[in-house]
Amino acid sequence: MKSVYIAGAGMTRFGRSEWPLMQLASVASLAALKHANLGGVPVDGVVVANMGAARINRQTALGSALVDQLALYPAAAESVENGPASGASAVKVGFQAIASGMADVVLVTGVERMRVVNGMEGTDFVASLSHPIAEYIYGVTLPSLAGLFARLFMEKHGVERKHLAMVAIKNHANAAKNPYAHIQQTITMEGILTLPEAVVNNPPIAEPLHMFDCCPVSDGAASLVLVSQEVAAKLKGPKVRLAGMGQATDTHTVHERKDPTDLKSVRIAAEQAFRRAGLKPEDVDVAELHDAFTILEIAESEASGFFPRGEGHKALERGDTQLGGRLPINPSGGLKAKGHPVGATGVAQLVELTWQLRGECGERQVKDAKIAYACNFGGFGNNVVASVLQREA
Amino acid sequence: MSMKVTGMKCSSCGTVSYPTHAVCPSCRNETFETVVIEGEGKVLTYTDVYALAVEYETRYLRLAIVELDDGVRVTGHLLADKPKLGMRVKTTIGTVREMAEGAIQGLQFVAV
Repeated sequence: MKSVYIAGAGMTRFGRSEWPLMQLASVASLAALKHANLGGVPVDGVVVANMGAARINRQTALGSALVDQLALYPAAAESVENGPASGASAVKVGFQAIASGMADVVLVTGVERMRVVNGMEGTDFVASLSHPIAEYIYGVTLPSLAGLFARLFMEKHGVERKHLAMVAIKNHANAAKNPYAHIQQTITMEGILTLPEAVVNNPPIAEPLHMFDCCPVSDGAASLVLVSQEVAAKLKGPKVRLAGMGQATDTHTVHERKDPTDLKSVRIAAEQAFRRAGLKPEDVDVAELHDAFTILEIAESEASGFFPRGEGHKALERGDTQLGGRLPINPSGGLKAKGHPVGATGVAQLVELTWQLRGECGERQVKDAKIAYACNFGGFGNNVVASVLQREA
Repeated sequence: MSMKVTGMKCSSCGTVSYPTHAVCPSCRNETFETVVIEGEGKVLTYTDVYALAVEYETRYLRLAIVELDDGVRVTGHLLADKPKLGMRVKTTIGTVREMAEGAIQGLQFVAV
């Protein structure tokens, strides 16, 4: 397999956007291409990640549409829909194209424009990834699966609502240092949990999860330029290698998993990614985890191999996962505060990590970061893509 | 309503699966008999959901995963005022969602 490098990374600010779908995708793509500074090297392929455009924006074949916007013909083009893991799945398609020798330069762009529909319709569109007969018809939504998971996980490992609040407070504080983040408002334990008015500020969404445990609904796009080693050698700028990727699936329904609190798909995807990169979880300097719900940051930090099972919340309590800690998690603000335009998320995690490894993150920079890890969590854990990035010289 | 929720029993290894699959997840056999999913069990986990995807009459929906006494697990609506982890329940059938094609029947759980 040939080595694959990330030559450039760009994104739009996440949040509510008036831009049409393809404008979001184009702005992020052009930012990434400019960042890569390819000179005259042509783009061989374009992969677009998206989950809902066919339904909520009435547009399909987004890969072809983006080639047209950017006038990149006759580049190969495809679209990837893989639920909330669409972003990293699309990166994997680009990775495979370069690793196999079929392409030298691939643009991967994730985009979602979901605020054009009301909250109820947006929630329903994402809920359509649940099992149609055994979950969806019961009104199951992603927050409800997270609520079911959280109650079981918290009971089993002694995690309390204050720990969930710590994740939210940390990620909001990080997002406040990220000009691309949807939410740039810091929050306090008093305001969301301990003062009497916290019940008003932070109403329940899916008990035991409350509003500040859930990511916002965002529009946005994120983009990476992947290149072969031959092309990377010709470019100026720091070399970031996409050192390893892994992917694993699990049962469609959450209830069919022997231990529903065990994120087996995360564990397997992470093991694959680390093995392929020739690295270990303890080598990682910075991580972006899929905290669509606060409980998931804690659970994924364990399943990815950073902390023993049942001890993620203790690491959080110790401050290990905050900026300046032993392993900063979600310096971008995470899905929780940076936002979660579904198809863009998996790409955006790797945009942040590329910037981190290049030392371009300003106030939220993790000092001397050399190795980075991302977990893009699809379905409710039924399809997970993990990535390991490494800074070279 | 005579509607029943059904799963599959593998004709080779006897594993009961719900929902159904085209292949037995335990032994990869492809022949099954249909079995009715019902009975008593305990609440494995539950949640009150306020962020609803469709119009329900209630302000929130109480969802649960129940482990039936034969080991099969199901997701459905928990009709109990004071839910607790591990509480004993039995299955019934009722309307779980109103959709364009009409009322959808499914599993509900009541305390025993």
